[in-house]
Amino acid sequence: MLRDVLRILGLWRGHAGWLAAGVLVAVLSALAGLALLVLAARVIAGAVAAGHADAALLAGLGVAALVWLRPVMLFRPLARYVERLVTHEATFRALAGMRVWFFRRLAERLPTGLGLRRAGDLLGRLVSDVEALDGLYLRVIVPGAAALAVVLAMALLVGAAEPGLAAILALPLAAALALPVLLAPAAARAGEGVARAQGALRSAVVEPLTGIEDTLAANAEGRAAARVAAEGAALAAAQQRLARRGAWGGAAGALLTQAALLGALAWALAAAEHAVASALLAVFLAVAAAESLGLMPRAGASLAAAAAGARRLFEAADTPAPVPEPAEPAAPPTGHALRLDGVTFAWAPDRPPVFEGLDLEVPAGARVALLGPSGAGKSTLAALLLKFAAPQAGTITLGGVDLARIPSAELRRRVAWLTQDARLFDDSIAANLRLAAPEATEADLWRALDRARIGDLVRALPEGLETPCGEAGSRFSGGQARRLALARTLLSPAPVLILDEPAAGLDADTERAFLETLDEATQGRTVILILHRLLGVERPTRILRLIGGRAIPATG
Amino acid sequence: MASPAPGADAGAAALLKREARAERARLIPPVLIGIGIAACGIAQAWLLARLLATLLGRGDAGWAELAGAAALALLMAGLGVAQERAQIAAAEHAKARLRAAAFARLLAAGPADERAVGEKSTLVVERIEALEGYFARWLPAAMLAVLAPLLVAGAAALADGPSGLILLAAGLAVPVAQAVSGIGAAQASRRQFEALQRLSGRFLDRMRGLPVLVLFNQQQAEAARLGAAAEELRARTMRVLRIAFLSAGAMELIIATALASLAYRHGALVQGAHPAPVAALFVLLLVPVFFAPLRAFAGAYHEAMAARGAAAELAPLLDAPEESGLLLEEIPPKVTVTFQDVTLSYDPSRQPALGGVSFRVLPGETLVLTGASGAGKTSVLRILMGFRRPDSGRVAINGHDITRLRPSELRRLSSYVSQRAHIFPGTIRENIRLARPEADDAAVEAAARAAQVSEFAALLPQGLDTPVGEGGYGLSGGQAQRVAVARAFLRDSPLVLLDEPTAHLDPGTEAVVLDALRRLCVGRTAILASHARAARVGHGRVLELSHGRAGASRMAGN
Repeated sequence: MLRDVLRILGLWRGHAGWLAAGVLVAVLSALAGLALLVLAARVIAGAVAAGHADAALLAGLGVAALVWLRPVMLFRPLARYVERLVTHEATFRALAGMRVWFFRRLAERLPTGLGLRRAGDLLGRLVSDVEALDGLYLRVIVPGAAALAVVLAMALLVGAAEPGLAAILALPLAAALALPVLLAPAAARAGEGVARAQGALRSAVVEPLTGIEDTLAANAEGRAAARVAAEGAALAAAQQRLARRGAWGGAAGALLTQAALLGALAWALAAAEHAVASALLAVFLAVAAAESLGLMPRAGASLAAAAAGARRLFEAADTPAPVPEPAEPAAPPTGHALRLDGVTFAWAPDRPPVFEGLDLEVPAGARVALLGPSGAGKSTLAALLLKFAAPQAGTITLGGVDLARIPSAELRRRVAWLTQDARLFDDSIAANLRLAAPEATEADLWRALDRARIGDLVRALPEGLETPCGEAGSRFSGGQARRLALARTLLSPAPVLILDEPAAGLDADTERAFLETLDEATQGRTVILILHRLLGVERPTRILRLIGGRAIPATG
Repeated sequence: MASPAPGADAGAAALLKREARAERARLIPPVLIGIGIAACGIAQAWLLARLLATLLGRGDAGWAELAGAAALALLMAGLGVAQERAQIAAAEHAKARLRAAAFARLLAAGPADERAVGEKSTLVVERIEALEGYFARWLPAAMLAVLAPLLVAGAAALADGPSGLILLAAGLAVPVAQAVSGIGAAQASRRQFEALQRLSGRFLDRMRGLPVLVLFNQQQAEAARLGAAAEELRARTMRVLRIAFLSAGAMELIIATALASLAYRHGALVQGAHPAPVAALFVLLLVPVFFAPLRAFAGAYHEAMAARGAAAELAPLLDAPEESGLLLEEIPPKVTVTFQDVTLSYDPSRQPALGGVSFRVLPGETLVLTGASGAGKTSVLRILMGFRRPDSGRVAINGHDITRLRPSELRRLSSYVSQRAHIFPGTIRENIRLARPEADDAAVEAAARAAQVSEFAALLPQGLDTPVGEGGYGLSGGQAQRVAVARAFLRDSPLVLLDEPTAHLDPGTEAVVLDALRRLCVGRTAILASHARAARVGHGRVLELSHGRAGASRMAGN
């Protein structure tokens, strides 16, 4: 647990200034709160004691306290306000950095997407877990520092005159301070339970909504709702467990501060008359400290929740990258000829191999049609060429350079892949296209759209290139979305294009027209066309059929 | 950011008021316990004051009072635990009810609600969770903030009238300060939630398309854009908090003023020996007791604002009418589908998807809809699935208007295979069984065989029990499609709706699947949308759609 927390603190290094300032203001504000009550109490005590044996001393203190009361009274609210602002500002700055860090890490470690990880769960990881981490600073570090300052101040003030009394006062309060750390491991388990339950609930909500058509078609609404209700109940139970721990921690903290207060009173009852002044100070300090310290044990629950969030964040972010970046990258390749030698590959050790000793050569500028039944490994080949996976045996070279030695960013500048499930983002058409070429002019965009045979349709839209696509291109029909994705790939300046079923979802006439003009649309580039059949208009320079893990020359 | 609709606040307030009324009985225990805690606090303050006065030489209290104070401390700690439990219980019930309602409405809206899934899931998860503070802390705290300080001020007034008045005045100043700073907080709070919702929607969208971003080397640029979105969230949140914290500062100012006033009254104004030493110390010690419920109230005020922001988003969803319509008494064994001058438009600024389509399909007949993409083939199927209601015209099944049926009832008549079947996380077997949960293993396996799922499942390590992931990880597009066909076999319904079921299959698989589909359609009413030539052969009557209008129909193969 400690390791994860320390790692989070390491990630926050860039915001150390804001974070430290927040702690400092919090300490000042807490001490001002302490001073305020003690001063008011001394004024009254002085008045009450007037005329008594030791009155001279106590009344003098009362008058001195009255002088200090006014500035402290004004300072305390101001300090409190500034404390809140600065600590929250610091938290949000640190959290924003964390979101970005996490996304970058996932892009690096899970580039092929979610796979068996549930998307809803991942969403929860970023949003909830990152937010749970604000508890680490706001509810653990800041109040902890303030309470520590309060306890130290009390020990010093009282300890100077009466060390024994200082011990009676400070020991229970120190225990209240230590309580969160002691309670954290148990609360961590409860916090983990809450985070897990919330992830499960989100998955239960996201999955049926993602496949909404299939959910409704199966009349599975009731089952989906029952699952959401069950996961909701599980979440509530987990929250109950966490809250109960927090409540008991709160009760323990309250009792410890009460112990300090009553202990000081007992000491005063038993002690001789001369120590009354110190005893009174101790009692008032104990009353004032209750506010700073009373809530400390609840920090245990926050610490636990933050630690659970941190652990889940790091668990996802530390998934090993599927293909490591080369330690010593080779000089960028000059040519674009692709060559596979004896490539053997399986997605997992317990899955049958997709390729066994695959040899394949694609000269620069060639137009290769790759055929084969579904599941024969056409898309797997593309994944290997883009280093989304690495072969278990054999080599793949681009321009004579081993892919393993080419940095993946460098490789992906040279090879563009239109995947079967290429996705449009919930953004404008222009923004979606510019993913492939951020600098592209509007004229470039229109040219790519025309080549993908969708320019006319986009022109007819009232908002044109600025038309939003909707999630996964939901504003368009399947065929239209496919053509937009195709336009995006054509816009890419990469010299090698891998087009996986570029015409899927197009009607027969459009498909034929597109394939006929493919030559012109991809002039001068290497094209690997992955198809399940040839229409006879593609004019490939080579036709290969993937069967049994090998590529066999074919004739249409 | 457009300013929020004027109705949003009213909707949020109405929703919260309604729910608070519904939970009234559950809110009484935490309030009663809170009053008990305040009473204990008062009693303890009296005992402590007597002890302090004794120390100052003005009383005769001793160990008995100290023991009493300790007993009260224990009692208060126990009551605190009980209060926490009672609060959580009140929120739990309200959240469960609202979550179920929100999720049911989202399902009922179906594909017609085009918001991103991340955005919708935020409504059901985060927004509902944001209401917890309202029920668990705000409502009890709001009641206690009135009752408990009155009790404390009353006790103070009994001991010393002017001191009681000082506390009462301070208590009255708190809501005034809250209201002054709270007016802007409500709007700011809603804006913060909008930012959070957009951020999570955007993140889910980008995570699903992560391969695309990586392929175009855009992951860094997108990370920067996500950073900007997070930065926007920070700015928004801080705007809320700048105002919310003003009230926290005001609260501290009020407490400080009350303390100082008491000090002046009992310290500076009294000449000579204080006439009522215990009372003076008592009212001083009452200050923390007096402000504890007000502090809790101020802390919860921010949660109330947050809840109002969440409720403003939830209100339109929850206020939507519940799915209505007739229920089916039984599923007819045979159905006739009739379309008569049906029009449908998704977006008034675009050409209508259907511009007056008419046809009839008889039991045992298969109608093949053809036409360019965007010609309206899918729209016909969406209407029959109840995902959309026609704008005009009449759609009837066995002569009964389908718009009178509840959409979920309409779907009981049909099985549906879409262009790209969704594979849910779980095993292949679970994915097939989705279509008919009560089916036994033999029926699932028969459906798997009929749809050629068994063929590829046999090669997987765990056969039909192989887990498949979100988006069908581990299954190719063709395999996923065959799972969907198996669902249709298992469902065994009188109406079969097929939307480009073979668009992504290679010719070998396509032929096999089409053969299976042909067997599926025997004896049922079937509508197949397809532009693949192979799909039309031998399937039945062909109706060509063009720009949302039906052309001449002809027999397949002609």
